Amino acid sequence: MTTDILTQNFFELFDVPVSFEVDLDLVQQRYRELQKAVHPDKFVSASDQEKRISMQQTSWINEAFNALRQPVERAIYLLKLKGVDLNLENETTMDAMFLMEQMEMREALSDVQSKDDPLAALDDFSVQIKNKMQAMAANFSIAYEDDQLDDAKELIRKMQFMQKARKEVDELTAKIEDELF
Amino acid sequence: MALLQISEPGQTTAPHQHKLAVGIDLGTTNSLVASVRSGEAQTLADINGDHILPSVVRYAEQGIEVGQAAIEHAVIDPSNTIVSIKRLMGRAATDLKSLRQSSPYEFSISESVVPKIKTRAGDVSAVEVSSEILKSLKTRAIETLGDELVGAVITVPAYFDDAQRQATKDAARLAELNVLRLLNEPTAAAVAYGLDTGQEGVIAIYDLGGGTFDVSILRLKQGVFEVLATGGDSALGGDDFDHAIADWMLQQSGCKKIPTPSLVRLLMREARSAKEQLASVTEVNVKVELDDFAWQGELTRSQMQALIEPLIKKTIMACRRSLRDADVAVEDVLEVVMVGGSTRTLAVREMVGEFFRREPLVSIDPDKVVAIGAALQADVLAGNKPDDEMLLLDVIPLSLGIETMGGLAEKIIYRNTPIPVAKAQDFTTYKDGQTAMAVHVVQGERELVDDCRSLARFDLRGFPPHVAGAARIRVTYQVDADGLLTVSACEENSGVEASVDVKPSYGLTDSEIETMLRDSMDHAEDDMHSRMLREQQVEADRVVEALDAALQVDGDELLSEDEKANIAQARNQLIEAKAGDDSEIIKAAIKQVEDACADYVARRMNSNIRNAMQGHSVEEYAGNEQE
Repeated sequence: MTTDILTQNFFELFDVPVSFEVDLDLVQQRYRELQKAVHPDKFVSASDQEKRISMQQTSWINEAFNALRQPVERAIYLLKLKGVDLNLENETTMDAMFLMEQMEMREALSDVQSKDDPLAALDDFSVQIKNKMQAMAANFSIAYEDDQLDDAKELIRKMQFMQKARKEVDELTAKIEDELF
Repeated sequence: MALLQISEPGQTTAPHQHKLAVGIDLGTTNSLVASVRSGEAQTLADINGDHILPSVVRYAEQGIEVGQAAIEHAVIDPSNTIVSIKRLMGRAATDLKSLRQSSPYEFSISESVVPKIKTRAGDVSAVEVSSEILKSLKTRAIETLGDELVGAVITVPAYFDDAQRQATKDAARLAELNVLRLLNEPTAAAVAYGLDTGQEGVIAIYDLGGGTFDVSILRLKQGVFEVLATGGDSALGGDDFDHAIADWMLQQSGCKKIPTPSLVRLLMREARSAKEQLASVTEVNVKVELDDFAWQGELTRSQMQALIEPLIKKTIMACRRSLRDADVAVEDVLEVVMVGGSTRTLAVREMVGEFFRREPLVSIDPDKVVAIGAALQADVLAGNKPDDEMLLLDVIPLSLGIETMGGLAEKIIYRNTPIPVAKAQDFTTYKDGQTAMAVHVVQGERELVDDCRSLARFDLRGFPPHVAGAARIRVTYQVDADGLLTVSACEENSGVEASVDVKPSYGLTDSEIETMLRDSMDHAEDDMHSRMLREQQVEADRVVEALDAALQVDGDELLSEDEKANIAQARNQLIEAKAGDDSEIIKAAIKQVEDACADYVARRMNSNIRNAMQGHSVEEYAGNEQE
């Protein structure tokens, strides 16, 4: 009679095309519409069963929203829909160039505190990382559309590397701010 | 359709009735209760016309005093007069050292991990003390509004962790208040401003109360308040300004002795008064005299600013961090809302305005704005505004994790994830033949378990032995809309399960609360019976009413004839049971209706979503594809 939303994939649930390129404004818009229909606040005086279903559905919508709005999560989910499970811990093959670059960046990052303006240097790192992530995301989109799934997988791993680097930059920024104030 | 024609005399749906619900700001220093009356949210005053109830409880010889009455005795009876109890909510005895509070109370050493304060009325926990404040506000609301309440929205600092939220809910239960929702204080402030002025965009809420600081970055769009990030410090507030000033006074006096609790109280009171005066004048004369202590001196506004500036800087740092978490630049912030009495301090307004590069909003009384927002939300949740579009989407303030090998905390749900949320993670055994696994639930951002807050521990036992790494243990974290966590673990090959409601060691167990409720109830047995009967009858009416309304909308569409007949039968039995005088039978009949409707309810909830997603126009798609 009606499909259970918990069995729908995230793209179907949000009624957007299955693609890496998503219209984030539209996703946000759909997120609000869905939330308005299912959120537990709409079921405060309902039966326990309705409350439970509302919580499950809202949790599911939140999970979908998290996956759709973040590029790396979205990429992983797209591959999962194709039956490709990224076993990230066991597969770390990566091209040598990329690893070299990574090591250089880590070294530069560890020197940053001795710079005159460490916060500005960290801002530069953030911009660099952001640009690289964007380029990788664009390449992922192409690989995915061409069904080059091995390439797509490799790109996800690289993006995860960059994500970790970004987190380190953020943490270091917070640490330096703490010392300054 | 016979089903919908069943109607008993006097049972026609009553005209829309305004349900009484309140918003409660349970603060560290002050508490307030507010309600929507004739369309406007207002705080409620006590018989003396005071809106603010000081969050002070005194266990006096002749009974319990709350508020002003208690505060007047704080100096003469410090060990039985409890202030700033919110700081102890959800804290373990071992946390007390880290609370920067020169506490005049004596803590009782007990087996329990919940710290208890010794009073002449016996040992009391933070939950019990808070429930006295809630009871006082509840009584005020019932007296002012003239009827029982359907429930309350209680606000908590956005930064409260699971233990602190749970303790707040326990206090409400002890005060016999039905909690419609725990609401983050900054979100409540945004509700108050958002509905009044129709703002859209990114808003920062800077909330500096007596004992807690919160900053939240919210996005308001189309009636939805989305919390993008929260930050703050649950042990920093205006009380610390008073402390800094009081310390300075003590230093100036040259007094070398350790001050008595009474002197500390007096100094704090004078410090506070000086701080408040300095909001309008540039210099005050302070005089402190007690027993053999005497000091008199001047305090200027700029001297005070120098004393409290380091504390304000800490709050600004938390603002920076929250903006970064929200991925929002300072320029993107449209408005800054000031909440909490401590934002009256001029130095605070100046430094906040400087950081955000705009004049902060102060048009709603910063002491009342949270209670007003909570009252507006309570009104919506009680069902008084069925067409209201308002929806609050909240996030989890601190990451939830699990202890893994080597004392490391692995995060399962990251902070700032919208709630409710469920996340599962798979683990395995590390020894051959292992048949049990310990699950240790922690909350916090740090890498090491020791640096995080321990919320709960439980064991998953009795799964069949496997070789190391072959067992598949799935641990699921579910956080509900109030931010409260339930954790379950299951060994997937065998189906062995265990779960725990994370009522951490700092909260009270259900049976403890029940015992306390029973102890506190002087109702006769009969009263209890008739009360329970009345409650079940009201519940039965509600169930029937909701069912009829639902069937009318989509019963024919979603149900087969057999299913309809089944539901009709259960419904008739419930109406019969309701006419009797046995609450247990009514309860069972309600359960039966709910069971009979289980599939129907599930289908309705799904079609509900489908309807929400219908009506997207063709143009919308065309527009997307052109991108």
